[in-house]
Amino acid sequence: MSVQLTVEQTAFLQGPLSMNVGAVGRDGWPCVCRAQGVMVTRDRRALTVLLSASRGRAVIDALDAGSGITLVVSRPSTHATLQLKASAATRVKTGAAQRACSAHCVAAFADELKGLGYGAGLEQALAALLPTDDLVALRFAPEIVFDQTPGPDAGRVLART
Amino acid sequence: MNLSLESLRPCLDGAIPAVVATSAPDGTPNVAYASQVHYVDAEHVALSYQFFSKTRENVLAHPYAQVQVVEPGSFRHFRLKLHYMRTETNGPLFEYMKAQLAGIAAQTHMDKVFVLRGADIYRVLDIESVDPHIPPAPPPSDALLSLRHTLDRLGETTDLSDLADRGLAALTAGFGIRHALLLMLDEAGTALYALGSLGYPDSGIGAEVKVGEGLIGVAARERIPVRINYRTGDYAYQTAMRAEHATEPRIPLPVLANPHSRIAVPLIHGGRLLGVLYAESEHDAFFSHADEDALVVYARHLAALVAQAACEPDDAEPAHDEPAMRPTGAPLAVRYFAADHSVFIDNDYLIKGVAGSILWMLLNEHARNGRHDFCNRELRRDPRLPLPDFGDNLETRLILLQRRLAERCPTIALEKTGRGRFRLNIGRPLQLSA
Repeated sequence: MSVQLTVEQTAFLQGPLSMNVGAVGRDGWPCVCRAQGVMVTRDRRALTVLLSASRGRAVIDALDAGSGITLVVSRPSTHATLQLKASAATRVKTGAAQRACSAHCVAAFADELKGLGYGAGLEQALAALLPTDDLVALRFAPEIVFDQTPGPDAGRVLART
Repeated sequence: MNLSLESLRPCLDGAIPAVVATSAPDGTPNVAYASQVHYVDAEHVALSYQFFSKTRENVLAHPYAQVQVVEPGSFRHFRLKLHYMRTETNGPLFEYMKAQLAGIAAQTHMDKVFVLRGADIYRVLDIESVDPHIPPAPPPSDALLSLRHTLDRLGETTDLSDLADRGLAALTAGFGIRHALLLMLDEAGTALYALGSLGYPDSGIGAEVKVGEGLIGVAARERIPVRINYRTGDYAYQTAMRAEHATEPRIPLPVLANPHSRIAVPLIHGGRLLGVLYAESEHDAFFSHADEDALVVYARHLAALVAQAACEPDDAEPAHDEPAMRPTGAPLAVRYFAADHSVFIDNDYLIKGVAGSILWMLLNEHARNGRHDFCNRELRRDPRLPLPDFGDNLETRLILLQRRLAERCPTIALEKTGRGRFRLNIGRPLQLSA
């Protein structure tokens, strides 16, 4: 059973976001990698998160080995942050839709940062940093959703199975 | 580790938020944003602890974490494998992080949310470059070269007054610093007073900062450099610097209204705190880690010169005996309050403390005995002056008094007539009252 994301949460996940995926390796070491795209299924019960295979090797290996997954997404301009966790993730195929999604998410993220004064040339820098040519897609059905917006209420459970 | 932690210091200034991954005892991963990843030394970083979060719960149970940091300018990512060691809740590192967090919090408009409860110290076990193919950010300006230019401009001097002015002016040539203060520690060791300033409409000479208050006071109390790279509205770091107490006379510090970058560096020599060098800028991230290193060296050099100047012997020959100027015109009302040694001229506050008591003593000597010429040695021995037996700041107090008079009451002037000798010039008759 999984959580059904709200319409607002789904809309938030499609906004300009900083995204990071975490897992725990077989040796017990936690690991993290910047994600570069997220897609929510039509029924709002599952997500596909996109990583670069070369940048996220440890996270992907940990997930392949059965680690739980966590995705943290934050909107830089408001600091509104969600954390979604599941006990497992599975790899799914990538194609043109995933590459388009990644390019769109990275561009939106760059645009958001530009508005915050992070300097010129951001689009090119982030596109070079987060290319779409070695994407790995990981699908998971969130089992618990947290409000992770910084502050004393960070960690509040918004939904759980 | 092939990469050194030092080489990652630009990533550790809070410009781009870091994330930290931890594991619960059951293996559930957690990722959270870290407000601050602070460089401690070549093998350690500290993370700010603001709330009892899942991250904290996890590392207390399973002390391993991975932090991802980003280099400003290039956006290259690095991942650090960390082992949690301990939490510090006071002391220099805690105070530094508290001050710096205030800056980061203000930059991200999270002033009310970010309050430091502890500095979690981690040992760095490994550093991974995530983006080795991305060229690094352009290096910051060469701080060592800036230091050399500053020292070249400073030159040689054993005169304290000259040192205070040139020591600040040289910062413009070396580091491009346009706003700075030199503050000295008072006799009691409880406050600092501005002896020199650079780049402000009002000099602020004589302005005081209590040890422990504001950025300057924290740097003095903890004897550490404190650098804030972003504008902060934090009460403790902002208003303490400019507040004017309602009931006591005070000279306001002439600091910028909205500094974006600030640094306070203690002047330490022979294990003694002598003062604080403070600089600020209207630009974000003006002072790099390397600038901080260089300014620490410069402040130590200044401290050594201050200490050396204080040890220079007074001139042995008597002061010249030219006739002093004769007071003319309407009398000036000079009022002295013994409780805090404050002096008011025509009801305007001039100075207080040791400098106030010196002025009052000099004016009384002049009124009673018609004296104009004085030497430091007699002041040191005068029981009326609240100077400590050892390590007094007489010379700096005289410079302070001389500058304050020149700004606020040029009718009364202290003119240097030799090393350790000076003349009191009075242009108008005085009415002394206490």
